[in-house]
Amino acid sequence: MDLSEEQILTLAPDESSKKSGKDLANPAKWVSKGISTRALWGECQGSGSKPYQTQIDLTNLAFKCSCPSRKFPCKHGLGLLLLSARQPALFQQTEEPAWVSEWLNKRIEKEEKKIEKKEAAAPVDEAAQAKRQQARQQKVADGITELLLWIKDQVRSGIHIAPAKTPAWWENMARRMVDAQAPGLAGMIRTLGNTNFFREGWQSEYIDQLLRIYLVSEGYQRLDQLDPGLKDDINSHIGFTINQEELKETEGSLDTWLVLGKQITEDEGLTTERYWLFGTTTRKYALILQFLVRGQGAQLSLTPGLFIRAELVFFPSAAPLRALIKRQVQADAAGEGEGFADWQQLTAATAATAGILPFANERPFVVQRLIPIRHGGQWWLKDDRQTMMPVKENFRKIWRVLALSGGQPLNMALIGREKTFEPIGVWHDHQYKMI
Amino acid sequence: MTFWNDILHTALLGTDKTDISPAGLGPDLALLAEQIGSQTSDKEERFLRIAALAFNYRQAGATALERPDVQPDTAPPEQRPYCSPVAMQALSEILAQEQSKLLELWLNCCRDKGQLARPDLLPALLETGADKKRFHKDVLACGGERARWLARLNPDWSVYSTPETSDEDIWQTGGPEERGSVLAKLCHTDPDKAREWLMTAWSKEDANTRAALLSTYSSTTADLPFLESLLTDKSKKVREVAFLKLQVIPASNLIQQYKEALKARLILKKEKGLLGLTSKFVLSIQPPPDGEEFPPLLVQSGIEKLSNKKEMTDEEYICFQLISYISPDFYTPLWQKSKEEIITLFTEDPLGKKLLPALITAIARHRDHESTRLLLSRNIIHSALLDLLPEEDQDLQAEKLFGSAPEEAMVYAQGKQKEWGPLLTEQALRFAAKDNYRYSKGWVNMYIDRIPTGAISLLPKIQPFPDLSGSSAGWPSISEHLQKLLELKIQIITAFK
Repeated sequence: MDLSEEQILTLAPDESSKKSGKDLANPAKWVSKGISTRALWGECQGSGSKPYQTQIDLTNLAFKCSCPSRKFPCKHGLGLLLLSARQPALFQQTEEPAWVSEWLNKRIEKEEKKIEKKEAAAPVDEAAQAKRQQARQQKVADGITELLLWIKDQVRSGIHIAPAKTPAWWENMARRMVDAQAPGLAGMIRTLGNTNFFREGWQSEYIDQLLRIYLVSEGYQRLDQLDPGLKDDINSHIGFTINQEELKETEGSLDTWLVLGKQITEDEGLTTERYWLFGTTTRKYALILQFLVRGQGAQLSLTPGLFIRAELVFFPSAAPLRALIKRQVQADAAGEGEGFADWQQLTAATAATAGILPFANERPFVVQRLIPIRHGGQWWLKDDRQTMMPVKENFRKIWRVLALSGGQPLNMALIGREKTFEPIGVWHDHQYKMI
Repeated sequence: MTFWNDILHTALLGTDKTDISPAGLGPDLALLAEQIGSQTSDKEERFLRIAALAFNYRQAGATALERPDVQPDTAPPEQRPYCSPVAMQALSEILAQEQSKLLELWLNCCRDKGQLARPDLLPALLETGADKKRFHKDVLACGGERARWLARLNPDWSVYSTPETSDEDIWQTGGPEERGSVLAKLCHTDPDKAREWLMTAWSKEDANTRAALLSTYSSTTADLPFLESLLTDKSKKVREVAFLKLQVIPASNLIQQYKEALKARLILKKEKGLLGLTSKFVLSIQPPPDGEEFPPLLVQSGIEKLSNKKEMTDEEYICFQLISYISPDFYTPLWQKSKEEIITLFTEDPLGKKLLPALITAIARHRDHESTRLLLSRNIIHSALLDLLPEEDQDLQAEKLFGSAPEEAMVYAQGKQKEWGPLLTEQALRFAAKDNYRYSKGWVNMYIDRIPTGAISLLPKIQPFPDLSGSSAGWPSISEHLQKLLELKIQIITAFK
């Protein structure tokens, strides 16, 4: 696994772990260290009498350490990985010590047990399940009836009154949706309430989100008239979950996926990690979500810029994006990402998506040969066909894009929709670099 | 997008006050909007359906702006090679830790090697250097054409592209600090011109500016009439600075008065020894006759009449203050004694010993090399005298000073503009290990340029001082911090070898 220092540091759960990890990327701190085809390990002398045993699964990038830290990965894991990236010659290919091979074997066993458990799972009482489902659907339908009234009230009196409302006004409706077992809609209402009313153009932003909520709500009332894919999208936006284990049983897309970027958001102790992926052969885009409650160890560690050979299964949707990693084969060699040739291709694709999924969220895109340009007091990205799209307002990292570009075209990974795009990575000197 | 403006207009005002007209949405939408609208009589429902249609139409129809006329601004190609990835890694660490001393070292090494920083870190480098004028030149030298290009595009970095202003322009239009530094520089290169500038500007400036400019001005004997005229200036601040200037000019009337006052008080007399067989010279204080007024000019210049040192009488304290301003050459003709005999008096006589610190101040002030050598031969050394010694002796004497006056030795070490020698480094770090409140990680950051990389091998030998106050308890963490910075320093030096 060939990771750069920058990529390794994106794995850190916080700034202090980054700093401590860097401090531990020092050979003097490690009593022993080694590497095999499967793992990287080392013993780090901490404050205790016994050194901490740190191990990293290189096939599926996973960490384990005997230190008491609840952070994941801990500073020792980061330090060891950083040291191997900085000074690979220090790590001799040797036989795995017992404590490393035991852990790796346990991981394999655990995976096998999971499969066995699944096979031996108790039969589901389908009648009871259907009853529960029906009860929930009724609750959701009742909630949506109230929500539509709330939306219409706003339309009747005009959204000019929205800036004068207190946050409780949106929060109360969001809570009502939680009670109605529609947590997805609750989240959409909270997003609506978080509109920045001091920003120019808030009216359009507000009405866009209000219409998304309306479309999902209205769509739910007409589920039987919709295509199966769109039906799934509506259910998913409302908050109906899908059994992920069952989903993993379906056939996936095997490809070499480039991790385009990672975004972390935190809300009331819940950390949401968004990994944006791009299939280098299938040219599919994927979004992997990971939810972490404070103190909980992460199951997944993907670092932007990393190429992984993996099979992904997509959640059912009219325009599939969210996915799960069914199996990760190995890390793969770096390559170039061939995305859209220009904005015209991209807008044709987004128009097609809008046609089948009218309330789509932001999506990732790879576009070739874009040049950052200043025009009319804002930044734009210009393609080879001399057409240009604006960069998201107040995008501070534009200077990094410019520094790497120097006015020359770069292949870029972007996140956005319609006419607002934000670069998250660029290919520079045949290397993918995060922005 | 007038159709969308219509939607927004209706949404803002509310369907109670206005309604959407399908015909106004344009030919693409009008027919569909008409159909949707006719399916319901509910005004709000009708609006929401039409708005949802328009929203979808808008999203699906988003296209890029066609502007072949807008051409990119491209950075000129670089003429010099990029530095190594190891050097970039060091720079990334320096910028993350905001280590300005190491940044200075990195920039110097990169510039001297004729290499360039890679584009990745240029925004961070330009950002860090923007408010530190001393870095501007080197940031541009190491950032190459790309850095210049970026600086031109970003208004926050316009400081890099500001053309060099001439000293005269700065003097005419600069802020007080800039004008002061230009004047100070000119005093060394062209004292006559500096005097001319100051005189021309003097009457036009306010009191604070006059005092600030005067304090940066290096005055000479030629300035005496001007400085003495300032003793009656309306501004107290100006008068105070004028006194400070006069106190360092031996030919000034003020120093003459100091000499007179000292001459009247401090006398050298011959004392008979036991049985009257031997005699020796001793220093003594002769109080002025009763009723004699203490010269007001002396009081105005800051000479205190009452002692604030418990071991000195008022008269002794007056002498102490006067001695600190008067050149040591004054005593030879006064008492008919050689310089060596004068130093002996001040180092052996009981009163002389009390007054010795003032004499040392005077020796340093008047840069008296001979007296410094004589003091050194008696193993008397003071941090203020170290820079009067030949460079090769300075560290040696400073190391000795750590035994008797470590605080003074630290002052010398910190004031040194070059890297410390190995012994001085060890002494300074051992002393720093004892007081972690004063010699903290911040202190390490400030003096990392003086600490040689060889200190890395010393660190394990320097243990925290076992004291009860706990002021040494933080040393392990400070030592670890220092080690990291030294490793970074080694990385920089090695990367540019």
